[in-house]
Amino acid sequence: MHIDPQERDEVLLWRSSSGDEGAFTELYRRHQGPLFRFALRMTGNAWAAEEIVQDVFMTLVRNPKKYEAERGTVGAFLYGVARNRIMKHLERAPRDLQLPEHGYDSYGALPQTIDLKTPAHSAELTERRERVRAAVMELPAEFREAVVLCLLEEMSYEDAARMLDCPIGTIRSRLYRGRALLLAKLEILREVPKRAIASR
Amino acid sequence: MTCEEFQLATLDEGQRGMSLEAAREHLVRCPDCAAFERNWQELRAQLQQIGVQEREVQAPSRVEMRLRQEFRTKHKTMRARRGAVITAWALAAAAILIVTIAWSNWSHQKSSSVAKRMSPAKQSVSAASLKAANVAPAGPELGEVLLASNNSEEFTLLPASMPGFLGDATVVHVQMQRGALGALGLTVNEEHAGDWIDVDLLLGDDGQPQAVRLAQSTN
Repeated sequence: MHIDPQERDEVLLWRSSSGDEGAFTELYRRHQGPLFRFALRMTGNAWAAEEIVQDVFMTLVRNPKKYEAERGTVGAFLYGVARNRIMKHLERAPRDLQLPEHGYDSYGALPQTIDLKTPAHSAELTERRERVRAAVMELPAEFREAVVLCLLEEMSYEDAARMLDCPIGTIRSRLYRGRALLLAKLEILREVPKRAIASR
Repeated sequence: MTCEEFQLATLDEGQRGMSLEAAREHLVRCPDCAAFERNWQELRAQLQQIGVQEREVQAPSRVEMRLRQEFRTKHKTMRARRGAVITAWALAAAAILIVTIAWSNWSHQKSSSVAKRMSPAKQSVSAASLKAANVAPAGPELGEVLLASNNSEEFTLLPASMPGFLGDATVVHVQMQRGALGALGLTVNEEHAGDWIDVDLLLGDDGQPQAVRLAQSTN
């Protein structure tokens, strides 16, 4: 069956619930990337992120009637389901967030940007990025999700509020606190080597 | 502008409305806030870089394969279940139809066989022989009382019987109480309703009694 790339998510979901595999695949391909990245950045664990994405779409396969159009978009519904799964995962393994040394675990194949500067400079940049990633992972979940959606996924405040089902003001304040915590954390990290040198 | 105001406005990304002139002035005067601003810009750039770097990160293709497999299984099962339900309903309807027809046939046959059993010495008579047997005219005239004839040669047509349908009639000899004649539409003397009498019933093609003849009275 032909799928129009511009077809609305609601139409795709309706077609998918009546057995149209093409519509389901299109819906999956549209949303899996952002959902996977969201889950990965929230859990810091690729396997968990994979499980979460699978669970979210499994909900659509098994019970498409769970989605109520009057409550929001299909995207927001999927984010809502993913968020519940993420929170459950974090509750089960609250301090299991062992961030790997290089990027997210088991996904060593993260695309690397080409750096034309010296290898030393490139290594320094990579290290800084890893520090920022680690700092993001250590933020409390509610601040982390705002940072992930607005700063990493570059979602607007309105979209993030819709996805997280909360007022824009809440997103703004969580983002503010998330930024402040990140900065504080990285400031401390930056100070550590200086202090170490000074103490020698 | 104080340091606190500056830092608050910086982290809020200008959402609270910050005068650029005042901010610049403050930055020139305050080295701590200048460092804060530098750190913030650096962090922001790094976050943006991470976002760009990971933009193409997607769920592994095995997730899509698993989901599509699950989708197919679910919908195949649903289709099979729907087919099974339709078949079950069709079978049930057919079974009900067969049972109804069978019951109707059985009840029809039963009534015929009962009539046959009641007459060990049955005999077939043709329309011509009926005429010879002197069948009384159909139905009572207005004001006339219909009575079973005592003449053993004459059949009295029962009310609502049609002489034209007596093509292949059967004579059945039965013993019954006189009162039962009332059920056939004949007038019965109440005082002798309990008496047993021998009666010949003329059954039509449909197995229904069409005419009656008193063979001989007992008791």
